[in-house]
Amino acid sequence: MRSEQEANRAIELYSDTVRRLCIVHLKNHADAEDIFQIVFLKYIQSSVVFEGDEHEKAWFIRVTINACKDLLKSFWRSRTVAIEDLMDQPASIDAESREVLEAVLSLPTKYRQVVYLHYYEGYTAPQIGKILGRNVNTVYTLLTRSKKLLKDRLGGDSDA
Amino acid sequence: MHEKLKTSFDHIHAEPDLKAGTREFLLHKMSEYPKKSAAYRSLLAAAICLVFMLAGFGGYRMYFTPVSAVSIDINPSIEFKINRFDKVLSVEGYNDDGIDLASGLNVRFMGYMDAINQVLNDRTVMEYLAQDEVLSIMVSSADGKKQNEMLANVECYAAEYHNVYCGMGRYEDMTAAHMHGLSFGKYRAFLELQALEPNITPEDVQGWTMREIRDRIDALSGTVPDNGQGGAGHHGQGGEYGHRNGWSTQSE
Repeated sequence: MRSEQEANRAIELYSDTVRRLCIVHLKNHADAEDIFQIVFLKYIQSSVVFEGDEHEKAWFIRVTINACKDLLKSFWRSRTVAIEDLMDQPASIDAESREVLEAVLSLPTKYRQVVYLHYYEGYTAPQIGKILGRNVNTVYTLLTRSKKLLKDRLGGDSDA
Repeated sequence: MHEKLKTSFDHIHAEPDLKAGTREFLLHKMSEYPKKSAAYRSLLAAAICLVFMLAGFGGYRMYFTPVSAVSIDINPSIEFKINRFDKVLSVEGYNDDGIDLASGLNVRFMGYMDAINQVLNDRTVMEYLAQDEVLSIMVSSADGKKQNEMLANVECYAAEYHNVYCGMGRYEDMTAAHMHGLSFGKYRAFLELQALEPNITPEDVQGWTMREIRDRIDALSGTVPDNGQGGAGHHGQGGEYGHRNGWSTQSE
């Protein structure tokens, strides 16, 4: 089991990433609490040795996505829409950003995942394929479709 | 759009109470762990001493006699031999990758679930899983009750992973599997394939990944091939496969 210092370091480094993935995947704040506990407990119990920061971050992303998928399998989970989770976020989110986030969250989950991983985390399609366990061509297709959907919803250019 | 998305997600942060709550939860778990672990170790040591005192050499033999096994196959093929106290007595690789993997593991006298966890956190195995390969965890025990308990444990654990099979095989098949140079998990898959393709030999499948075997079975049995992106789940033949996690993705 890892130490308290390691746990604190991981929470400081990766809690924003885990939170963003929760918003992308989940329905509400209560579910996010569960995910935080599952992911960081798995981290302190894990004996895996990371080769560097990127490897560690990819591990957190993969474990969070899997934990979110498992949670969503529970049929008794609330069925509120993901957008409501934005309400838990500070009012400092400006109108434009809120509109963009709402557009992303209105996409089906498979699109949201790739949009977040590609546009925010900067992963390439092959890297996303590895993280999500999906064929790289499927990832390219999802990225193309999601870009079109976002462009339809938000209008404007699509420079990605 | 790229910049807009980046700026928008930048606004999202983990709330302080969420981080504090997680810290508190982890601290609680960490404080629990050593006590539980120490108590468990003491109890185990006392139990072992008692057994030794009562049975002398018989106790020693009891501890070091394997009664169960776990076979983990993806491309690396390894097998744990487990005693009646659920401790790993040995680990053996059944192909080159398996031998490499086995040599890097430090699982002797470890609980078999912890040992499985170590394997699934191994970088090579994680890379295989990321490439949509199929991992099989097969349990087998001479004691049927123990076998069911082990299957329930690994199914519960595997629920966090995708493309992971769990199942159980007959303990009697182990000797035959080893005679053919296969782990019993892979041998179990081979038998399933051989029922559909009688001319296939154990040597043919020795270098195959589990994904290749499963795809061949699916093709021959007419099951819709599944590449991890849809399709119906398959639970093997004869009800021996207990769980196939992530074989089909959830609907979105």
